[in-house]
Amino acid sequence: MQEVKLVVNYDDYEEGIRMETLLQDLAAKPEAATLESLIIGDWGQAYENSPQEFKDTLIQLAPSFPALKQLFIGDMESEECEVSWIVQTNLAPILQAFPNLTSFVIKGSSGLELEPLQHSKLEELIIICGGLPKKVLHSIAAAELPELRKLELYLGVEDYGFNGSLEDVLPLLEKGRFPKLEYLGLKDSEIQDEIAKAVADASILEQIQILDFSEGTLSDEGAEALLASDKIKQLKHLNLSYHFMTDEMMERFKQSGMSVDVSDQQEIDEDDWRFPMLTE
Amino acid sequence: MMLHEKDLLLIGHPGNRRTTGIQEARSQMGMKPATVLPYENLLQTWRRGGGLAELVKSSSPSPLIRLDAPGEDWEVERGLLHLGATDYEVSDGKVRTDSEPSVKGSKACVATDLPSSLQKVKRESFSAEAALILEQQWGRIYAPAQWFRGWKICLDRIAREARVVWPDVQFWNDPDEIGMMFDKRECQLHLMRHGISVPPILPSSEPIRSWEMLRAGMDASRMHRVFVKLACGSAASGVVAYQVNPRTGAEIAVTTVGMETSQGRTLFYNEGKLQKYTHPEEIRTLLDWLCAEGAQIERWMPKATLNQRAYDIRQLVAAGQAGHAVMRLSHTPITNLHLRNERMLPAEAGLKESHLSMIQKAAQDTIRVFPKSWSAGIDVMLTSGMNPRAYVLDVNPFGDLLYRVKYEGMSPYEWEMKLLRKEPVRHA
Repeated sequence: MQEVKLVVNYDDYEEGIRMETLLQDLAAKPEAATLESLIIGDWGQAYENSPQEFKDTLIQLAPSFPALKQLFIGDMESEECEVSWIVQTNLAPILQAFPNLTSFVIKGSSGLELEPLQHSKLEELIIICGGLPKKVLHSIAAAELPELRKLELYLGVEDYGFNGSLEDVLPLLEKGRFPKLEYLGLKDSEIQDEIAKAVADASILEQIQILDFSEGTLSDEGAEALLASDKIKQLKHLNLSYHFMTDEMMERFKQSGMSVDVSDQQEIDEDDWRFPMLTE
Repeated sequence: MMLHEKDLLLIGHPGNRRTTGIQEARSQMGMKPATVLPYENLLQTWRRGGGLAELVKSSSPSPLIRLDAPGEDWEVERGLLHLGATDYEVSDGKVRTDSEPSVKGSKACVATDLPSSLQKVKRESFSAEAALILEQQWGRIYAPAQWFRGWKICLDRIAREARVVWPDVQFWNDPDEIGMMFDKRECQLHLMRHGISVPPILPSSEPIRSWEMLRAGMDASRMHRVFVKLACGSAASGVVAYQVNPRTGAEIAVTTVGMETSQGRTLFYNEGKLQKYTHPEEIRTLLDWLCAEGAQIERWMPKATLNQRAYDIRQLVAAGQAGHAVMRLSHTPITNLHLRNERMLPAEAGLKESHLSMIQKAAQDTIRVFPKSWSAGIDVMLTSGMNPRAYVLDVNPFGDLLYRVKYEGMSPYEWEMKLLRKEPVRHA
């Protein structure tokens, strides 16, 4: 697969090079016609500048990338910008400009909007962030994504932008909400136990094959509900990697016969604080 | 060639890893062992009113002198703090101790009983007498500015006294240049003036002495991510990666410096584990201290990453040649930690040949602007992105202590000894 990653590094930025320019240069190359995957990395001081700077350009250039299937906006390390500081914007218009896209990955949630979220071919939506605003959760719940097979959301923590509660997550759990959904990731959450308890008997499990609760604060409380559910037992795979379960609970999962990942057990500190993985 | 091989006089700590390593390398290469002059003896001799001359055989032909790292020895630490005390004065090589006996014990004179906004932040200081009887608290960073003043006096005095004994003496690395390499402020300016790429220094019309001045400077230059480095710290000691979110005002400081406050007084430590400060009060205490002691403040430039870990490279240069190189990788902004970070050889990591030569060139260009120095460990970073460039982060005059790395089949010290034979130190 043809893939290109664009980055505006320090020297580029100082010399006045912008993501807009890099996109124009790429679109002018013959390889643009066959490019399948485009990764947009640091666009320069992303704690201050949002993709708004290059959004219109990318939308205008969309016809130059007719084969594009995958788009990642914000692929950067903390060395470039803390994930919770990455400034995003309403990215829905970009999605609409690429009607053949099947995978859309976003990193960073500050200022992120996905309104309106409609796409007839999108199969995969992944949002990696320190805290997902409830507004985005509402947009996803109201989305028209008939082909969506994989939804992976880092819910994160309040300090980094998660201003919702379980109530804002529940609408995603209705069966048929995304008719083809097979992979559901509600992960990296500080309310992972609540989510586990709510999902354990949700009707959506009848269509889900892989459930991803990894990287959050899951403890025995949420785990108990999962073990007690017959619907959970029907899953092809359950990902609970990075968790706060006890050894006994891990053992019970291992004995359950389920395909389950209980690796990366975390130690609970003396004040009983539990943090999801991506909290910097 | 062998006939005129100079004797090596090594000023260091007997029996430590450096001294042992050098002696082993010399024996490996069939060279005479170095004569070791302990810093401790030298400092004691000075305190008694004596000098270098009485510790060496002045009748012997002039040696090559290598000054090694003075750290990791408590007696020497105290001795250097003593030398750097403001009440320490030298007249005709004698220490004048006419000051009244100071407060008993090793009490530091730090005033922190007022909120720092109301007072000018002071440096920690010990009297000459108090310095000598300081009790070691593990990991504590003692009066860095005073220590550095003492170290500069020590370097100066060694140079002067050695030249009296042997007018044609040669130094492995010139004491003056060692002093300059040690002072990150001076060193980075020197490199910049000679056209070496270094991270941009935070512009300021006057030295930055407090957190408040630092913030004003950062805001004025719109430089929201900086490294604040203790001007005379070695490796990761006293290094803070500090960033301010211009939109939200949030602050993050990541560092190895730990703080402990009791009875209104804060002590600063080197922690084995990285600390992350996000509370404005803590950050202010930390940076007030660092800026008051003297800090190099430069743009935090995103480093190139390998498997999500940022890295830089320690490149050894000797006799103008680039030798051993070690990559230091970290999930944190601080790559040059001693213990916890992973190390890799550039070849293992699959670092491109073109990138490696860029690093070597930067290191070789760097040592060239220190014409009286023969070897150094140069820390070089590459910027992130598709077309990285090399920036020099640090110049370490004792940067040849590198473990588990060979170049042309030799350890760093062996390689240096071989070079020393082939291309002896020529500078005066």
